[in-house]
Amino acid sequence: MPFGLFNTRGTLDADLAQAREETGQLSQQANEVAALATQVNQGVDQQARSLTANAEHIGQTVASLKDSATQSESVATSTEQLVSSINEISASIDEVTDNATHLAGSVEETAAAINEMTSSIQNVAGISQEMATSATEVTSAMIEVAASLNSVSDDTDVLVSSINETAASIEEMTRSIQGVASNADDMSASAEQTSAAINQIAASVEQVTAMSQTLATGVEDVGTSIEELARSIQGVAQNAQQITDVAASAATGAEQMSRSIHSVAALAQQTDTITRRVARDAEEGGAAIQKSMQGFSRISETMTQSASVIREMGKQANEIGSIVDTINLIAERTNLLSLNASIEAARAGEAGRGFAVVAEEIRNLADRAAQATADITAIIRALQEVAQEAVSTSTEGLRVAQESGQLAEAGVSGLQKIMSGIEESTTLVGQIASATEEQRAAGQQVVDAIQTTVLQARQVAGATTEQATTVQSVVRATESMRRIAQQVAQAMGEQSHSAREIIKAAQHNTSLATRMRRATSEQAKGVNQIAQAVESMRRGAASTSRALNEQANAGTQISQEGESLARQVATINQAIREQSTATEQIRVTAEGIRQQAGQLARAMGEQNQATREMTSAAQNISRQIALLTHANRGHSTAMEQMLGELETIRQSTQQSADGSRLMQQACVSLQERAQGLDARLGRLGNGNR
Amino acid sequence: MTRTPFILFDLAGATYGIPSQEVKQMEMIEQITPVPNAPPSVEGVVYSRGEVIPAMNLRVRFGFETVPLTLRSRLIIVERAGRTVGLIVDSAREFIWIPDDLIQPAPEAIVGVKGRYVEAIATLGNRLVVLIDLDEVLTLDPLYLPTSEDV
Repeated sequence: MPFGLFNTRGTLDADLAQAREETGQLSQQANEVAALATQVNQGVDQQARSLTANAEHIGQTVASLKDSATQSESVATSTEQLVSSINEISASIDEVTDNATHLAGSVEETAAAINEMTSSIQNVAGISQEMATSATEVTSAMIEVAASLNSVSDDTDVLVSSINETAASIEEMTRSIQGVASNADDMSASAEQTSAAINQIAASVEQVTAMSQTLATGVEDVGTSIEELARSIQGVAQNAQQITDVAASAATGAEQMSRSIHSVAALAQQTDTITRRVARDAEEGGAAIQKSMQGFSRISETMTQSASVIREMGKQANEIGSIVDTINLIAERTNLLSLNASIEAARAGEAGRGFAVVAEEIRNLADRAAQATADITAIIRALQEVAQEAVSTSTEGLRVAQESGQLAEAGVSGLQKIMSGIEESTTLVGQIASATEEQRAAGQQVVDAIQTTVLQARQVAGATTEQATTVQSVVRATESMRRIAQQVAQAMGEQSHSAREIIKAAQHNTSLATRMRRATSEQAKGVNQIAQAVESMRRGAASTSRALNEQANAGTQISQEGESLARQVATINQAIREQSTATEQIRVTAEGIRQQAGQLARAMGEQNQATREMTSAAQNISRQIALLTHANRGHSTAMEQMLGELETIRQSTQQSADGSRLMQQACVSLQERAQGLDARLGRLGNGNR
Repeated sequence: MTRTPFILFDLAGATYGIPSQEVKQMEMIEQITPVPNAPPSVEGVVYSRGEVIPAMNLRVRFGFETVPLTLRSRLIIVERAGRTVGLIVDSAREFIWIPDDLIQPAPEAIVGVKGRYVEAIATLGNRLVVLIDLDEVLTLDPLYLPTSEDV
């Protein structure tokens, strides 16, 4: 090892020592810092703890503030409720006051009513007093009436017994009268029987008389009838004669009629024949018209054809005309050429003489041709006019032919109508013929019947003539019969007169008996009526007596009722007086009630005033509590803010604590490293030695 | 006896005559082309045998009323003093030799203002033929007289 090295080693050792010393100092300072950090840590921890404690206290304060706020709110609520309930109380007190006022009013009205009632009760008391007096009077009067009724009843009983006696005597009288009446009845009956017997005799006589008169009348009637018969028979005979004459003339007439019917039938036959012929003619006419119609249509066709032919001809004439024009043109040109040739020939002088002659001839030919064409043109023009006329004529002819066809059709339909008319006529004529045939048969029958009638009428006339003779003898016999009957009737008339006189006498007798019977019967009837009257009198007296007894009883009862009525009225009087007293008391009491009600109303008014004051006080309290609640809420908010700030402080304290703890750890690790460094430095120093 | 050949033509019912020596040729009237600023009697021009010729209506020239042209209408082309003119007439169908003794001067009595056109009158039986003075007919106001060169 060189010297330098030595030297270096010495320096190094010194450096190491210095390093170790500095390391020791570092470690020591680190230890101090750690100690300081530990102290800081402890302080921070204490601060955190005290902060936490503070926070807890403030939280508690906030909670208590909240509680107090809640409580004051509830106090406010309850105060409001108190106010509203006081208001309700006030309202109810108002109502009570009103009611008390009304009560006072109604109590006063009640008092007034009670006063009126009292006065009316007093009136009633007076009236009932009067009633009691009059009831007493009625009772005494009724007692008197009862007494008089009793005496009347006694008298009536006496009357009844006397009436009974009278009735008995009348009944005896009645019985004797009835005996007389029955005797009279017997007598009357026997007289009536006698009279009836006489009447019967008289009636029979009268009947006989009447019968004989009837007989005489009958005989007269018979005679009359027979005379009438005779007259009627003569009339019949005359009528029969007339009938015969009339029937003869009728027969003549019927024969004439028959002949005329024959002639009618013949005429009908002829008519039928003629009608059939007319029908045939009409049919032939129809056929002819049909043929003519066909002819017309052929004419039409032909006309149409000829018209078209004529038109065609016109056209051809036009063509001819144009040809003629051409020819004319050629003729003119030829004329012109020949003139020019003539001019040239004249100019040539003698040399052109022959040429001039030829030109002359040519010109002549051309002129002739022109003349001919002019003639042809005229002819063609005339032809065209004629063709035009022919066309219009054929058109007219066509029209006429068509009209004729239509007319022919009309003719056909007319003919058909005629045919149907003819058929109807034929039918009618046939009917007429058969009718005339029937008429003819009927006429024949009429003629036969009339002839029979004539025969019979002649027979009747003969028979009636014989009858007339017979009846004349009957008439004579009847005449003698009539005389005999008149004599019988006269005798019977005399008999009848005698019987009538007997009847008159008997009737007189009977009427006397009847009158007597009627008189006794009337007597009996009168007695009966008397008896009935007495009986009814008796019954009336008895019923009167009974009624009087009842009346007496009723009067007694009435007087008893009157007495009890008087008693009741007295009782009512007493009761009314008591009522009056009670009413007075009620009136007094009502007055007291009225005063009390007035006092009650006043007291209620005072209560009302007090309640209003209470309400305003409670509202005041409510307002103050609201202010208190508001302040409390302010405190609570401030406390919460403070709590937030404390929390911030606590967090920063925590951060400080964390920082000091990190610092402490850093110090510890620094110490460790310092120790490690120191150890290495030690080993380095050892190795170096 | 001397005689002269004439072309006879009809105009408004009368017969006129022109010496055939004056006539160059005769034409049917096919088509007349009108020309502007022509005198009233000149209807226009026609084309004939390679020449354009003015066509004068003699009816207008003679103061008659005009009629439509027909198949018989003719154009008589005359030549005088180097001018060729076509005369439109109603018809012209005859070429005739007229003896001189049948020709006599126009009577003074019928000569009016237009009498200068009439040179003489020829009598053929009972026909009268007016022979016109062609110089007078063709003499027009120089301003209105067209020539073949002008056309």
